[in-house]
Parts: sequence; structure tokens; C-alpha cells
Amino acid sequence: MAPRENSHEPSGTPVPVETGYATLATLRTGVKAYVEKEGGLRKAEILNQAVRGGHLKFYVHYEEFNKRLDEWVSTDRIDLTKPVEWPAPEKPEKKKAQAPKKDVPPRPDQKNLKRSRSKLDREISATPSEATSVNIPGKAPRPSKAGGKENKEIVVTSEVPDGSTPKPEDEEMDLVDVQDAAAQAKAAAPENFSREEEIEKLRTGGSMTQNQTEISRVRNLDKIQMGKYEVEPWYFSPYPIDFVDSEMVYICEFCLSYYGEVTSFERHRSKCTLLHPPGNEIYRDDNVSFFEIDGRRQRTWCRNLCLLSKLFLDHKTLYYDVDPFLFYCMAVRDEHGCHLVGYFSKEKESAEGYNVACILTLPQYQRKGYGKVLIDFSYLLSKRENKLGSPEKPLSDLGLLGYRAYWQEVIVDLLIEDKVEANIEDIGAVTAMTTNDVLHTLQNLNMLRYSKNQHVIVLTDAVIEQRERQKAKEKIKGKRNIDPEKLIWKPPVFSAASRTWNW
Amino acid sequence: MTQRATGQRFRQRKLSTKQNLPVLREHEVEQLQDDDATRHIPKVETGVEKGEEIEHHLQAVISAAQAAAQGGGTVAQLYIPTPDAVQSKLQYEDLYPRHFTQPATYIRFSSTVEDTIGVAYCMTIEDAGWLKAYNQKKGKSVHCPEDEFEECMNFFEETSQTKQPYATVDNAPVLSYEDLEAEFDETISESARRFAKDIYSHWKNQRLLKNNRPLLPSLKFETNLETDDSDPYVCFRRREVRQVRKTRGRDAQVTEKLKKLRKELEEARFLMSQVKRREFMIRDQLAMDKQIFDQRSAVKEIKRKLGVKESDEELLINQKPPSKPKQKNEQAAIRRELPGGHRPPLTRPDGRLVDSDLVYLDDQLAKKQEAIDGFIEENLMKHQKWNVGWVDKTWRPITPPLEQPASKSDFRRVFTSSQLPTPPASVSDDEIGDTISVHPRKQLEPRRSTRIRYATPPDDVPYQDQTRYRRRVGRGGRQMIDRRGVKRQKLEPIEERILDRYKYDGDSSEDEEVYPVDWTDNLHIRYRIMIERQGDKQHAQVAAQNRRAIENHNRSASGHLLPPSNPAAAAASA
Ligand SMILES: [Zn+2]
Repeated sequence: MAPRENSHEPSGTPVPVETGYATLATLRTGVKAYVEKEGGLRKAEILNQAVRGGHLKFYVHYEEFNKRLDEWVSTDRIDLTKPVEWPAPEKPEKKKAQAPKKDVPPRPDQKNLKRSRSKLDREISATPSEATSVNIPGKAPRPSKAGGKENKEIVVTSEVPDGSTPKPEDEEMDLVDVQDAAAQAKAAAPENFSREEEIEKLRTGGSMTQNQTEISRVRNLDKIQMGKYEVEPWYFSPYPIDFVDSEMVYICEFCLSYYGEVTSFERHRSKCTLLHPPGNEIYRDDNVSFFEIDGRRQRTWCRNLCLLSKLFLDHKTLYYDVDPFLFYCMAVRDEHGCHLVGYFSKEKESAEGYNVACILTLPQYQRKGYGKVLIDFSYLLSKRENKLGSPEKPLSDLGLLGYRAYWQEVIVDLLIEDKVEANIEDIGAVTAMTTNDVLHTLQNLNMLRYSKNQHVIVLTDAVIEQRERQKAKEKIKGKRNIDPEKLIWKPPVFSAASRTWNW
Repeated sequence: MTQRATGQRFRQRKLSTKQNLPVLREHEVEQLQDDDATRHIPKVETGVEKGEEIEHHLQAVISAAQAAAQGGGTVAQLYIPTPDAVQSKLQYEDLYPRHFTQPATYIRFSSTVEDTIGVAYCMTIEDAGWLKAYNQKKGKSVHCPEDEFEECMNFFEETSQTKQPYATVDNAPVLSYEDLEAEFDETISESARRFAKDIYSHWKNQRLLKNNRPLLPSLKFETNLETDDSDPYVCFRRREVRQVRKTRGRDAQVTEKLKKLRKELEEARFLMSQVKRREFMIRDQLAMDKQIFDQRSAVKEIKRKLGVKESDEELLINQKPPSKPKQKNEQAAIRRELPGGHRPPLTRPDGRLVDSDLVYLDDQLAKKQEAIDGFIEENLMKHQKWNVGWVDKTWRPITPPLEQPASKSDFRRVFTSSQLPTPPASVSDDEIGDTISVHPRKQLEPRRSTRIRYATPPDDVPYQDQTRYRRRVGRGGRQMIDRRGVKRQKLEPIEERILDRYKYDGDSSEDEEVYPVDWTDNLHIRYRIMIERQGDKQHAQVAAQNRRAIENHNRSASGHLLPPSNPAAAAASA
């Protein structure tokens, strides 16, 4: 049997895994098989299967890879000479949760082909998989928790269970999969979020991030066209369901409206007059402009923005509307207009003191230093508000790296200015960073040490060297700096009525 | 490890975030083989979901960064791999024309997407095909442009959305053309209506293909059905919907709010209608005036024709009356309000009014004021004459010898601005003392030369409101400054821009700049006291002598003050 690879699994709760050899016919959703990736083999979970371009393809998620690398693979990339892991047996009552489809009139289009095919595959595969699982003796039905994963299945792939008796939803189903390390973290935490609690938390907390369990696992758009670029989406986003059939979704660069075909898009472009994000410009320098946009006043535009950014932000949720947020949009200008480069959203009033809810540089502008400008700007706003700020958690991997780089740069620059002494709260006050984030950064860089019976901050050679290298690079490439003088902005004040009265 | 645990760890080691910590370089701190502090520092929470924290690429970058931070030498820059973004094949220049010119000021903008995208419906490839065929069939005479086509389609879509909001749920049939035609309004132009009927057939086909669902791809909003929650396509739920609790109190509250709103709107409407009425009345009045004028000139013409030698005054009573003696003027004022009233006509040979004859209110007021001032002055003089040779024993009994009894001139004027002129051509040293000192007694004397020249007081400020000072000398040489009409100047700094505005105002030469000075400022008061004192020395000495004399006389053996009994001393003060 294949050795257990997922080392992150909790050792205390051994999860029985059924393994065995599969054929193409027995591969199905939930099976974990070895798939060729970047010249090697990597264990991947099959999330969906469909006939695309006349060939059977599987949508797979590679273990320990971010979801944005999930992809459709052809059958020849799946190594069936190695054993696969079978998913937990399906519980009939779970199917109820899989969004019953009411709108499937018989019509011969590609989508239907996909569906019927996948249904067929399942029906065929059902028996052999049961048979394989018998190989392992003593396998009683798993703890129901293990089956929770099925909830993450995307609706497009689900089928209507024939004649299954709907039972009340299993309470435990709402818990996160134990196999999932995220779930482990949750379970360790004092509170176990039920789905209802999660939603309630979202509603009252105004949070824009959401637990993984809520998120659809299969990308629904293949490609988007925006401005001068074609971009591959990273995650699912609830664009109109009709778009799953589109090879390309066209997004207007200025109003962010979306079109499933090029004819409509071209017609739209001939009529659209918007040339910049529809709000007030609050910052302008030689490189970029920032626009402040109120989610309540510009509902359509902000919804469009959220749909777009959801394609690249895993933890973003569009569960609730955009009203309680302000959107700070960064744009570069030319004769065509102000092109959106990135943005961050911010709660009008954050109970947790977050100064950023979601933050994104559009993929076509990534790795150009814009992320740091966005972060810098968010802290500049906090300074104007005389507040300390921190980004809303959870951070994405890219978010974490971006923030760490920014924090390091800011703190090291501050300390390097010939300082003899420094105190953590003062560093926070000057940079508008929370004490925790300052501590986090210092510890992470191994700068907080204990020497001669006292704590000291050490500007390590490595950190200094790193900063100098960075500066040299900036000299060559040029650095985008935010100039506080150019911010014309007062913290907006919202009356209680404007926050709650939704018209 | 949680953040809380981190905090505890540090608290035990007494790390205070408020405490200043020395900042050292690496060589300044001894390298411990087993650094207790670092070893025990728990890993800080990253803020990334645990499940993602272990992701391969993130870990690779983090450990590379860690290595760099620990001094592991140059580490190749690592990136988290992301899917591609490539140049599009579409013709950007065609799709996005160069229309943007950046305004000099920051953009302020509030139009919405709906305001800026025109007709929401955009033709699909099927529509384009149909339209092409349609136009070919119809020939050149009736060509349906794309805009009109979209207008029609948009109208059909929007109308069915409003008429059949639940078409997808209840399988309603596609609306008939008659139903739609009945709804024609300003959202569909005349030019588009010409094609409506033809386009309808195409629209209906498209709707049928889609099971009478909207043709434009749309987001899924909440339907408040159970299926909403598990449907990942349902988005942008309203936060309030679930919160609303139906209570009587809430209902009443809402009713009250609406009632109030309605009342206020009605008030506003009433106000507007009244304003409108007023404006109409003004218009009528003007028309009336014009008519009167026309008729008068007609009368005048007739008079001329008939050779009536009478004055034309009565025809012109709406004009400014000619200058007349006071009482008459007042009568005239009364009469003016009663057009048609008679009054003795002021005859002039040419029957016309001359401007110089006009009486101005200002002149009259000035005359009046003059008369009043004269009267007061006169009476004052009279009183002083009456009092000559008399001693007023009722004057505050223990007051030291007084300067001139309080009169208006006793208070010195203070002006809010002073001009600093070029220094006088020649001022001898001994003169300076004199000129600077401003002695109240000498006030009437013409000043020989001045160092500080005061502007004339503003004429429009009544005497009582002018800022004035009076100096009195009290017992023991105490100086008392009485202030009247002192208005503290606003303390807020004068804005530079406002100063700038007046900078070149007025005709004063550069060396006669006017400096705004706060005369109520303690520094200035002290300064004025000082210059006062210099010229006052002699007088002060006399006063001191007098005071001593009074004190000697008035102090009883017990040291109590007695009322002044020395007529000589009292007289000296008078
Ligand atoms: Zn647009």
C-alpha cells in the first residue's frame, strides 16, 4: 500500500483510507490518484470529469498545491499503475444538499453533454468502487464527518438523485472535513463553526472572507478577456451560470460588465462611456491614481469588481452585498482612460479594526510592485484616520508574502535611521501597524532577542543586506512610492441610517 | 500556537511593548549557541488558513525568506506560481478609443454604471445574424440600425421582467406583442417602434429557446427559497433582509417616519407654490406699472396737445421726489405711498426734476446727528459753567483727587490699525520723548510730529461702540485703565490668503503698510502705559504730592480713612 503522504493529517485521529488500483472507468470524483505535474508525479484529487473537445478530462486538485493550480488533465497524465485512494462511501442524504437542479430542460448543448456524461460515469463506476473497498476488511462506515467534503462539490457536476428520500440535513455534515488541515485548525479552536454560525458571523461581522467549505471547488470560467490581456481565472466566481459554456468571458475594462461572447462585448464597448472607476479621485501622482468608491452608491460597479476579484481571491465571499464597504481602486492612466490595476476594500466601520478586507492586484499587473503600493496606501489612510490597522484574516499565500515584505521594509527602514532605542508600540504608532503585526515581523526576522538580561532588537546583517540589495534594485527599476502630500482625503463619516437603511 | 500564547511567553520574560528596547547591530550582541529567547519564541501565527499554510510553494518562499533573514546568503528570488496572463488578440485600439483627457484637478464622479453604458441589451451573434438577414430582406428603404434593434430588445426584456417577475418559476408564457405594445413609453423611441413588431418575432423565438428566461446572462440573487444557501451562484444577499423582525413597534416607527416625511414634503411643496404665486404677483405688478406708465405718457401727450400748462408732476409721482424742507419731505414720503394723492406741485420751468434737488437719507441723518451732538456739547458746557467755583461734595468721598470729571474726551480713542509711516525727517532727541508720550491733558494740542499716526476712526461706528481708554490714577500711584467698547480681536490667525487679497488694496505707499495690531493685547497695553508714564512723570509727581496730602489729612490715628475734609486738597483736584 502506498505510504501516507499527507503528513499534515492529524496523527491523533487516524483516518482510514481505502486504497486500490483503478481503471479509467472507475475513476470518479473524490478519488485521489497520482497525476503528472511539472515533470513529476503528485497526488491529486479528482473534483470533476467531463468530455472536453471530444476527450474525457478530469479536473484535479493537487495536494499541497494552491487551488489556483487546479486544472483539467487528459487521461494520459493520470498514472494508474499506482494505487489510488477511494473516497468515503457516499451517504444518500448528503445529496439533498447538492443544490437540486430545476432548470434542466432537455436541450442538446455542450453543458448537457457534460452532465449526462458525468452522470453516466458515476453510475458505471459505482459498483466497482464498492467492490474495491471490500478489499479492506473491517471498514465500517466512516465517521460522517469524513463525508463532509462532498458538500464542496460544485453544482454543475451534481445530479438529481432519483428517488432518494430527503432526510433532515445531517448536523455534522456542516463541520469541516477532518482530513482537511483547515478543519483541524478549526477543531482545535474553542469554537466549532456550524454553517449557520458561519453565515451569521458573515452577516454581522461584515466580513468578506469565508470558510473554505463554502467555496465551490471547480473554476467555472476558463478565460477572461480584459483590456489588453487574456487572463486565466484562479478560482470559482458566481458569474452568470450561462458563462460555463463560454470559452472566453469578456470584461469591460472600465465598467467591469461581463459578456459571454465577443459580439455583445463589442456592442457594449461602442456604447460604454465610462473611462475611470466611478468615484472620486483621492490621490494622484505620476504613476497611479486612487479612486474611492462607495459600495452603496455604486452597487453595480462594486458588484462587478467583486465578481472579477473573486476569480483571483479564494477566500473572498460574495455571499452578502457590497453596501458596507468602500473600495479603493488604483489605476494607471493613459489616453484610453484609467485602467484598473488593483484595489482593496475596506469596511466602513470595522469592529475588529481591520483597515483592509480584500486586497488584489489584477494578475496582468502582478510582480510589478503594485501590491506594495496598495498596502502602503491602505496604511496611509489609517494614518489619516489616526488608527492602527491590519488586514482581515485569513490572508492568502500571496497576501501574506506581500504584507510580510511591506512590514519588513517599513520597520527596517525605521530602525535603520540611526535609532538607539525603539519601542514596539511606537513603531506601530508611526507606521499605523498593530502591535501584533510589529511583533510578528520582528520575530519572524529573528530580530527580537534576549541579550544581557534584557530584550533587544537586533538589526541583523542579513536584514540590512537584504534592504540594501532591494534599494539597489529600486534604483535601477524605479520605485513606486506613495506621496502622502498627494492624498486629498478626509475619513468619510457614515450616519447610522446610511449604514442600515438599505436604500 | 495562538497569538495569546505568544503574548504570555513574553509577559513571563517581561517584554513590554511599551518599553524602549535597545536597537543593536548583529556584532554588538553576543552570539549564543543556544539562544534561549529565540528558541522559546513560539512560531507567530501567519494569518493564513492552516490548510494553505502547508502548501508547497508558499513554504518554499517562506523558507527562502527565512534563510535570507537568517543570513543564508543570496537566495534566488522565488515566486508562487500563478496561471498566465497574456496579451489579448483583440484590437485594443478599436475597442478602447483614446477619449480620455486628464482634468487638472482630481476627478469627482458619481454617475453609475447604468448611467454610462447606454442601452443595457447588447446584441448576440444570433441577433446580429437575424438583423443582417432582416435588413437585406427589407432593402435599403427601411434599414434597422443596431441601436434601434437593441432598444426594442431591451424594452421587451425589461417589460417582461416587470410584468412577469417570476416567469422562470411559474412557467408563464411569453408575452404577446399586444401586451408589450400596450406598455410603450418614453423608454422606446419612435424610430425604434417602427421595427418593434418585426423584432418581436425574433425576440419571442429567442425567449422560447430559453424557456422564457431573460436573454441577458444575469446573476443569481436570493429567491428566499431553501435552495439559496447551498447554491454558490447566489450572491450579493442583502444583509438586512434576515434582520427585519415584524413587531408592532417597528411598524409604528416606520409609519411615523413616513408620515413625517410626507408632511415635510408637503410643506416644501406648499412653500414652492407660494413662491410661485409671489413671482406671478410680481409679474402682474410689473405689468400694471408699465400700463400706468404708458397711460401717463399718453395723458402727457394729450396735455401737450391741448396746451395745458399744468406741471407734469402728478404724472411722475413714482419718481424720486424733489428736495424739499424736512417736514414737507416727510409728507411727500407719505404721499408717495398713496399714488393719486395730491400735493402742492413743485414747479420748474421745464417741468423736469434735477438731481441736485433730491434729498438723501444719509444727509438727513448726518444733519440730525450733528444737531444732537451740538445740543449735548452745548449742555455740557452749560453744566461746566454752572459748576464753576463749586465743589461737588457728593463725588465719591474717598476718591483721590480726580482728573477732569469724566467727559467724553477723557477716554482716548484706540484704533485697530496704525500706520507706520516713514520716520519724520528730523526729530531731535529731546522731542522724541514728548512726541511718543500721549498725555491726556495735551490731547487738544496739535501734535508736532508723530511717531505713531492713527487712522481716523471709522465713521460708521457709533461713538459708544468705538474702542476707548481712560486712564485714572488711583491711590498710591495705582494706574487704572478703563476700557470701553473693547472688542477682542479674533484670536484665530488671519489666513494668509485673506491677507494676500488686501495686500495691494488701497493707495498707501509701500512704506506705509498697515499692520494689523491687537490693541487689546497685554503687551500693547503695557507699552502704551509706558509711553504714557514718561510724559506723565511730572504730573505723577504732582499727583503723588496731592495724594500724600490727602492721606495725611484723612488718616485718623487708628489708621482708618476718613472722608476728605480738606477743601484745599479737593479743590486742587478739581
Ligand atoms: Zn463598459
